[in-house]
Amino acid sequence: MSHEPIVSLRHVTKRIGRSTIIDNLTFDVPQGEIFGFLGPNGAGKTTTIRMMVGLMSITQGEIIIKGENIKSGFEQAIRHVGAIVENPEMYKYLSGYHNLVHYARMVPGVNKERIDEVISLVKLDKRIHDKVKKYSLGMRQRLGVAQALLHRPSLLILDEPTNGLDPAGIRELRDYLRLLTRTEGITVIVSSHLLSEMELMCDRVAILQQGKLVDVKGIQEFMSSATEQVQTYIIDASPAEQALGALCDMDKVREAKAVPDGLELVAEREHIPEILADLMRLNIRIYKAQPQRQSLEDRFLEMTGGGQNG
Amino acid sequence: MGSLILNENMKLYRRPRTWAMLGFMVAIVLFLSIMDWYHNDKRTEGDEWRNVVIEEKQQRSEILNDPKLNEENRSYNEQRVAILDYHLEHDIRPEEGTMWDAINGTAGLTILITLFTVIVAGDSLAGEFSGGTIKLLLIRPASRLKILVSKYISMLMFGILLLLILFIVSILFNGLIYRFGNIDLPLVMVNTEGEIVERNMVATLWKTYLFNGVSTIMFVTMAFMISSAFRSSAMAIGFSIFALFAGTIVSEVLQAYEWSKFILFSNLDLTQYLTGRPYQEGMTLTFSAVVLSAYFILFNLVSWLVFTKRDVAA
Repeated sequence: MSHEPIVSLRHVTKRIGRSTIIDNLTFDVPQGEIFGFLGPNGAGKTTTIRMMVGLMSITQGEIIIKGENIKSGFEQAIRHVGAIVENPEMYKYLSGYHNLVHYARMVPGVNKERIDEVISLVKLDKRIHDKVKKYSLGMRQRLGVAQALLHRPSLLILDEPTNGLDPAGIRELRDYLRLLTRTEGITVIVSSHLLSEMELMCDRVAILQQGKLVDVKGIQEFMSSATEQVQTYIIDASPAEQALGALCDMDKVREAKAVPDGLELVAEREHIPEILADLMRLNIRIYKAQPQRQSLEDRFLEMTGGGQNG
Repeated sequence: MGSLILNENMKLYRRPRTWAMLGFMVAIVLFLSIMDWYHNDKRTEGDEWRNVVIEEKQQRSEILNDPKLNEENRSYNEQRVAILDYHLEHDIRPEEGTMWDAINGTAGLTILITLFTVIVAGDSLAGEFSGGTIKLLLIRPASRLKILVSKYISMLMFGILLLLILFIVSILFNGLIYRFGNIDLPLVMVNTEGEIVERNMVATLWKTYLFNGVSTIMFVTMAFMISSAFRSSAMAIGFSIFALFAGTIVSEVLQAYEWSKFILFSNLDLTQYLTGRPYQEGMTLTFSAVVLSAYFILFNLVSWLVFTKRDVAA
């Protein structure tokens, strides 16, 4: 696997009228990763994706996909891309199969075997000859993934892929994307405004805010920087009142209060074992001690200025 | 390109709507033919056609005797009388009472072809936008121009299909009603020089079809342009159908002005050169061909520019 980026954005700017929708985006998407676009609604995720697939013109700058400029070499560049932009809207009056035949005809080298292969890949075998209008949302999503994978793209772009999927569907999609990147070396770009999802799915995330790039980071870096910080823990201890009293007396505890789930305490990660040991020494029984997992979200909101846009 | 046209055809012919149109076309041809046969003056069918012709000639002569008759009516009636004389002299029966009468009558159904093709064309492009499928269509290694052209070609093919259905159904059905009698009957008509000539019936029929086909192509191109500019099927179909019906009125109202010969609608009806009565003095087939080509290029240029340059948002 080469380490050349599969997608490069260079000073990409999009202006509509006087307003600047996308402002000078520059970053690379490395090969074989799941790369996330993260940002509140209206941050420019979809616009960026639309420019990457040629649905929108680029006012300034350039986007290079596998060495081909999407503007000047559109047909060459787009050959490597499979995408779902927003909802996978299909021809409802056609069967799922004929929808796939339709897209297969548009790229040279996709034969009937490949269509069948993709159908079984997304597990639509039984319903593929039904009309799309009879499909559930989840089935449409899967058909959307199927059309994106038909021509064996090197780059898969999914705009809000988990919209409308149930938790099982999201999990399935996640596992499937992992499989694609691991076994076939496909690079996946996903956009989302849901952090918890991105955290589980992505190797790296680019954070967008009002058309500007805030940061690009590996998800591990994100997580570790979060864990270094002072965190909030929930403790289930008995007797609770005695425990709360003890916690309030400890120097290492910055804050402690009773919450419906138990006791909430704020302290540095390093000090937690000692705090718990102190409690146990006082014959307080501890059933559970759990860090609050909202750290990434907090960090995200911090970076994007409180997430006032949702 | 071939596979793109296959795609467009698949999207067209796998919709019940399309088959309803084709079925309606067949049904209306059958209906009109039956009505025509049912209301036919039965005397014209046998050898009595001479009496009918002589009767008509007498009526027209009486009209011509009226000194207050205006110029237009006079020349029309004189032409009719000359044609009727020709029928009698050369022992060629008129089309009335043969299969050809109804067949020529159904040639007027080309307006239905225009209507259906405009509906399909208006929806072909705008439907992709309103259905959201345009986003998946344009992210393939096929340029927007190719996609536009493939849609355009598939629309023209649909128009030709409707025309073939009209021709075949009307020939077969009327042929069966009249047991294919007088199948080699020539058409007696007045040419542009005012002479009476015999013409091959089928060739004349196809000439009418093709001349009407030109107007179909212009309306489809217009629907396509509106479809690409506004991305709304309702707008494209609505405007084009409005133009289809209001166009004649517009050109009639403006007939007094000389520049009105440059209006699209004044040139659409090319059969005006078949009958030898152009919209304005001095207009020729070549003139109309040039004007129509100019509009054709303009419409296509607008469709192409708007479709290939504009962003696909929302």
